[in-house]
Amino acid sequence: MKLLEKMIAPIDKALERFDPVKQSEKGVGGLRDRYYDKTGVAKWREWRGVRDTMVDYTAWLNNILSMVQMVASAPVPIMKAFWEYRWMGSYLGTFMFIDRLFEGYRGPELKIAHMNMHAIVQSLTKRIAFAMKNDRRLGGGPETEKIIPHDETITPLFLKGFKGLYPFPLQTLPEFIICDVDQHIEPYYIDVAESYGLPADVCSRCSAETGVAIDDAFPLFGKVLLSTNMPCNASEATSMFQRRRYGKPDFPITLAMQHNNPEALPYSRETLQNAMKFVEDNYGVKYDWDEFFRYAKLMNEQNTIELEKWDFFKTPYSPLSGIAESLYRLYSWQSVNGQDPYFNKVDRKVIRIMRKCYEEKHLPFGGKTRHRAFLWGPSAVYYTDFPTWTQNCWGITIVLNMDSTMGFNMINTEDPEIAMDDLTRFTEKACMRHHAVGGWENINAVWEWAKNFNCDMVLMNDNIACNGMLGVHGMMEDQARDLGFHFIFIEHDLEDSRTVSRQDMRNCVNKYMSVVLNEQPLDPTIVEFDDSDAY
Amino acid sequence: MMKKFVKPFMKLLSKVLLIGLIGFVATFALYITNGENKLIYYVIRPFLNKHYDSQERDRKI
Amino acid sequence: MKDLKHLIWFENLLQEAQNELVSKAKEEGQYALGYNCYYIPEVLLNLPGCFSSRLRAPRCTSTDIAGYYMTNRSCPYARSILERAIEGGYNYLDALFGAESCATMDRMEEHFFLINPVKNERFFVTQIDPPMKGDRTNLDYYKVQLTVKVLEPLKEKLHVDVSEEALRTAVEKHNRLCRVITEIGNYRKLPNPPITGYEFHVIQVVSQVCPHDLILPYLEETLEELKTREPEPKFPFRARVALVGSEIDDPDFTKLIESCGAMVVVDRYCYGSFPSREEIIIREDETAFDAICRTYLFWNQCARFMDGMKIDQRHDEVERLVKEYAADGIIYENMKFCEFWSYEKVLASNIFINERQIPTCTIEKEYALGAVGQLRTRFQAFIESLEIKQIQGGK
Repeated sequence: MKLLEKMIAPIDKALERFDPVKQSEKGVGGLRDRYYDKTGVAKWREWRGVRDTMVDYTAWLNNILSMVQMVASAPVPIMKAFWEYRWMGSYLGTFMFIDRLFEGYRGPELKIAHMNMHAIVQSLTKRIAFAMKNDRRLGGGPETEKIIPHDETITPLFLKGFKGLYPFPLQTLPEFIICDVDQHIEPYYIDVAESYGLPADVCSRCSAETGVAIDDAFPLFGKVLLSTNMPCNASEATSMFQRRRYGKPDFPITLAMQHNNPEALPYSRETLQNAMKFVEDNYGVKYDWDEFFRYAKLMNEQNTIELEKWDFFKTPYSPLSGIAESLYRLYSWQSVNGQDPYFNKVDRKVIRIMRKCYEEKHLPFGGKTRHRAFLWGPSAVYYTDFPTWTQNCWGITIVLNMDSTMGFNMINTEDPEIAMDDLTRFTEKACMRHHAVGGWENINAVWEWAKNFNCDMVLMNDNIACNGMLGVHGMMEDQARDLGFHFIFIEHDLEDSRTVSRQDMRNCVNKYMSVVLNEQPLDPTIVEFDDSDAY
Repeated sequence: MMKKFVKPFMKLLSKVLLIGLIGFVATFALYITNGENKLIYYVIRPFLNKHYDSQERDRKI
Repeated sequence: MKDLKHLIWFENLLQEAQNELVSKAKEEGQYALGYNCYYIPEVLLNLPGCFSSRLRAPRCTSTDIAGYYMTNRSCPYARSILERAIEGGYNYLDALFGAESCATMDRMEEHFFLINPVKNERFFVTQIDPPMKGDRTNLDYYKVQLTVKVLEPLKEKLHVDVSEEALRTAVEKHNRLCRVITEIGNYRKLPNPPITGYEFHVIQVVSQVCPHDLILPYLEETLEELKTREPEPKFPFRARVALVGSEIDDPDFTKLIESCGAMVVVDRYCYGSFPSREEIIIREDETAFDAICRTYLFWNQCARFMDGMKIDQRHDEVERLVKEYAADGIIYENMKFCEFWSYEKVLASNIFINERQIPTCTIEKEYALGAVGQLRTRFQAFIESLEIKQIQGGK
């Protein structure tokens, strides 16, 4: 190993001038230099030194392989899907998306980031192939009638007790994931919804989902539709359109909003049980608790490892942070939810690296972290690499994201009665749900979280159409002042980059860092730039 | 006997290595020049978008 | 038509949240219990020794301070209520019974305990988690919520009698008021009604913001007056419309529509009489509390209900009212930034226009009626289209 290092060292030295991180250190360039203006298309890929470039290259190859497998497993349906669905075309931006996410990453940070990302890619490509193979619109398949389409914010774990059936989050492919990859895709669907009279001031995520429904662009399968009141008002409202357009019997899983109250548990529990009964009646399959426990064990392991990760997040030696952490947690919790053992395998590997980094007192990002921030509120999905930018530009490490704190309670795997309670608590704390609505104490918890994770800064995502968060603006300002946190509102429009552009979001941070804190950027080439035409 | 076995093996190995090398050079060249993204951004997506824009969708509530 | 005897006085009662009848009831030692949303059954706040006060912010022109707390991008109704609270307009309140019926309402009500704008030592706030479906599970949850968040605090904090007997008495009184309002409202079914939509709106809102015991005699007198009131010789409007949507607590909005030429014959919006003035029938096998919960859940027309049964009910109910009150069309309204009604407006207008062939006009409004020029133009155009339709024999 050491010999290899010795061989690599002179090459690294010779090619150092191509490394944008080194360039910015020396004041002769930076991360933005290799891009064609506006497009987000890089002239060449980032040179990260021999070792890290090879890590990145190998990850790229692996991801290509997953995509090839996806096409090979269902060539005709996949081609048909590309022709049928506008959102399918956006998946071609995945490679550019991944490059964007991990710009400036080196060493174990890069390794872990790619391990996490590949887990998502391999899972998602399988899902796309599965969905398209069974999409009624594209001809259907053997599992078409065995799929249970459900709202993306309902955790699929509780549906794993139906042996032989496949829970599938309906909005994931056309909206929930793809909006991260391509900032131009959801505005199309938003425009469709608005052309039918929906005002522009509602949450753009739900507006986009409505547009997908009106545009008849959801894949079609299953016998029912499980909708939900999670996480908030607009998602409840958009369900009305989706149920009509989907045209199947629907069951709204309305869990308690004020779920911290003791009287909420029996209600939410009964609601979940009613949903199970609804599925049983419509599919003729009995709920099998042993089957459920198999998956609950996988979820428990994921959560156990997650809690250990949190211990490392609290220290300065965590190689996992920012988007590498939050995107993985979001997908592995909300979408995978214990269904795929591959994620457990990745978790086990990642935690080993994290332990090692802690023992070696490894300082991530070359020790350039200046501030440790907690990211709170629903993040702008059209700027998924925002945490990467805060790190590279200002040295602000996003230690943890609000959505990463989704249900982390363990689920009993022996007694269905106890498991039902655990499952209810777990389900209630889904993405964007637990902290954004359901009472002041949920949102006010940010300070405690930030303190526990040794953060000096809170970045507050300010979705300009999120009623739950808008209603606490003044109180959060007051609290930040009283408690002595650096506090920045990051204004954004969730899925519509036309209203608040990525540069507008960057400006929120730029202004605070330069005017209030009087700090200099780590990389001046990325303080202000135009990426409006980028995916 | 040994020679008879080693020679074709070495031949095969060198072929595999050569193919591997060519494969590596080709894919690495594609990777480092960001070739696939340029192709997608400037050729494939504009073509697909043109198709999507011309689609007649069954829009209704 | 001859002016209604109490109309000007009723109008004056709507100028302040703490009007003369509220002050009088307070002087008599009654507890003033505030609420915003239909999810909180008014009848529960009219138990012995208390009176209900549905919160409004009349003549609110600026929401600068509330805007700091909730931004100017949130519902203007919620902001106006908070602004009025900060101004001290609700200092007469002894409690606020809130409902997390939408996120903005929830946040607004939270400020009532976070920044303590109500200067009354006794004052407290509770918020129910309202149901979103009309089934048995949700009815049970509604009962639990109203027990824990309304009845128990009333009993424990204000020592109010919440017994079955007290509830039955409250239901009886409530029904009496409902009968009066319903009877007054029924006049709007006539081809040439002796009451305008504006007058009815004033009467309906007055019945929600004043102590029932004190306002009821005047409402009964008004009903008697209407029995002999001579309408205009000829129906003075060019069309009849149903007004449907979210919060409308300002009768001037109805006046605006009527000034454009259409009489508002149906008030199916928050603060309107559909729902709110349905009698509560206690069945033999249930308690008064059960009947209250059942009635309120059944009649609730909120756009946040998610199950097919309630969604269909919303549209069927509007259609029923349109037919019963012979409305020519519907004006579908939503408050700016109201997500529920924004969505519902799109869905409902599509259903009414395309599936049920009822002409429908959709509009978005602010809480305070300021610049109404655009709205006036919309209404005039819509009324003209209704008129043309009438001339063409409904085609």
